[in-house]
Amino acid sequence: MRNRAVRPRPLRWALVAGMTGLGISAVIPLVFMLQAAFRTQLDWANSKIGLPTTFSLDAFARAWVQASIGTYFINSVIVTVGAVSLSVALAATSGYAFSTLRWRGRTFTYFFILAWMAIPPLLLMVPIYVEMSDLGLIDTYWSVILLYSALNLPFNMYLMTAFFRAVPVELVEAARVDGASVHTIFRSLLLPLSVPALATLVIFNALYVWNEFVFALLLLHDDSVRTLTVGVNQLVGKFFFDYPALLAGMLITSLPMVIVYLVFQKYLVRAIAAGALK
Amino acid sequence: MQPSVPAGTGSSSAGTSGRRRNPLRSEAKWGVLYALPALAVLAIFVIYPVGSIIVHAFTRWDGFTDPVFVGLKNFQALFADQTFASALRNNIFFALSVPIQLVLPLGLAFLIHERLPGWRFYRWTYFLPAIYSTVVLGVLARLALQVDGPLNEALAGVGLGGLVHDWLGDGPTALASILFVFVWANFGYNVVLYLAGMSGIDAQLPEAARLDGANQLQVLRHVFVPGLRRVMEIVLVTSTINAFAYMFTYVFTITNGGPGFSTFVAEFDIYNNAFAFQKLGYACAMGLCLALLISILGFIQIRSLTGGRE
Repeated sequence: MRNRAVRPRPLRWALVAGMTGLGISAVIPLVFMLQAAFRTQLDWANSKIGLPTTFSLDAFARAWVQASIGTYFINSVIVTVGAVSLSVALAATSGYAFSTLRWRGRTFTYFFILAWMAIPPLLLMVPIYVEMSDLGLIDTYWSVILLYSALNLPFNMYLMTAFFRAVPVELVEAARVDGASVHTIFRSLLLPLSVPALATLVIFNALYVWNEFVFALLLLHDDSVRTLTVGVNQLVGKFFFDYPALLAGMLITSLPMVIVYLVFQKYLVRAIAAGALK
Repeated sequence: MQPSVPAGTGSSSAGTSGRRRNPLRSEAKWGVLYALPALAVLAIFVIYPVGSIIVHAFTRWDGFTDPVFVGLKNFQALFADQTFASALRNNIFFALSVPIQLVLPLGLAFLIHERLPGWRFYRWTYFLPAIYSTVVLGVLARLALQVDGPLNEALAGVGLGGLVHDWLGDGPTALASILFVFVWANFGYNVVLYLAGMSGIDAQLPEAARLDGANQLQVLRHVFVPGLRRVMEIVLVTSTINAFAYMFTYVFTITNGGPGFSTFVAEFDIYNNAFAFQKLGYACAMGLCLALLISILGFIQIRSLTGGRE
């Protein structure tokens, strides 16, 4: 019924063609990395686009071992798991405090935290770098884990508060009358109910943390703690002669989030929508 | 996920549900304690740096010795700084794409919302650029645009050898390349925002307009656009902020500021002053000015949008 978006035929097909072209352009980076990563260097030298004539996993091996992509990958996983767990935990506890618990100064504190959402974090790179080095956190996972958690906190807290507020008051009141403690209500009533919201936050934060570049560049100098985004950028200098390995490295960087998107698209879109409708 | 029922809003609580004061007092105590960890992390890693940048903007500071108060000297130097001025000009150039970033995704989202054939494919693929890391996109763009890279190879291959160009070796085309990647990387995110907004609009409104004989453009203009004010406001403000404060990764990976200083942006200049020249106080002054500039722009934009409504 709604499928009459554009009536005149020629215009309609022109729009379909344009929209399809745009969609294909969005897939091209992935396809380009895929077709290059399975080539041998010789095959790459002969032709840079089109189907590879060889199917070789050597480029992945070179990237994983010689270019330390393996180490970077593990670092990225550690940082992502750490930062996402911490920031979602903080969002859940503070969301509980701002929605269900009653205390003086609650509304003010809520808006006070929310106000920091708009700060472009990059403008703070100087004081953050100095602070991290004063705290002795440079070249540790903790530097980026704590920072990412803090930067994402206002949005996360906003989302959790909104979610907890949508839980019917009667449920919480009934639990209170039954003598449930503050912690029991949080742990056994609200947390199980909020699994979809928590999942939304996990996906949304993971995407940010996994792809973050500038603070990782600033705070992680040592190869043993570097994350993938910084590592890949560094490869450009080191592996400029070995494109298949470079592109294999970038594919390894991109695939986890593409897979997350494939599987959890619903949650990601929900997080963005929640931001839009606030 | 609508925050519809605000649970127990403050004042009414004291009188109701029994007079046991103890539970309420302990609830107040736990309220603070549950909020505290989040507040602490925010205070240490966001609020403190903001304070620090304001204080140190008025100092000369090399990061090794103690900062020295110099009054407004940094700001005077900043206004005479040619590199910073040309960096800001580049940011403004990127910000000129904001109308495109506002309108193009609106049209795309409208077509997807109206189920143009293939809409599922569009909806799925358009968000992919937001999934790729900016570093990956930047490095890919840099590889693709090299003199002996795939783009020139393809141009020569289809007989357009005359268009072969050192895209990143030439100031204007290097800047345009970054702009292109920037706009392309962000459009899908805005499409998703608009789609979310459109799904919140009563489906009967466009139907009614169509029965009254409105064409598609009129429906978009007079039914959807008014219902999407809030989303358009967000897209407008975030796109502008992006053009001023989220360009670093694109520039760093695609051109590294070059050739010469021709693709410098403000953040890049801050980074350089702080970490290459050890002028931390000066870099703080730059950050502060940029933050003020962005706030003023955002304020004007929101005012002009909401002003148009009332």
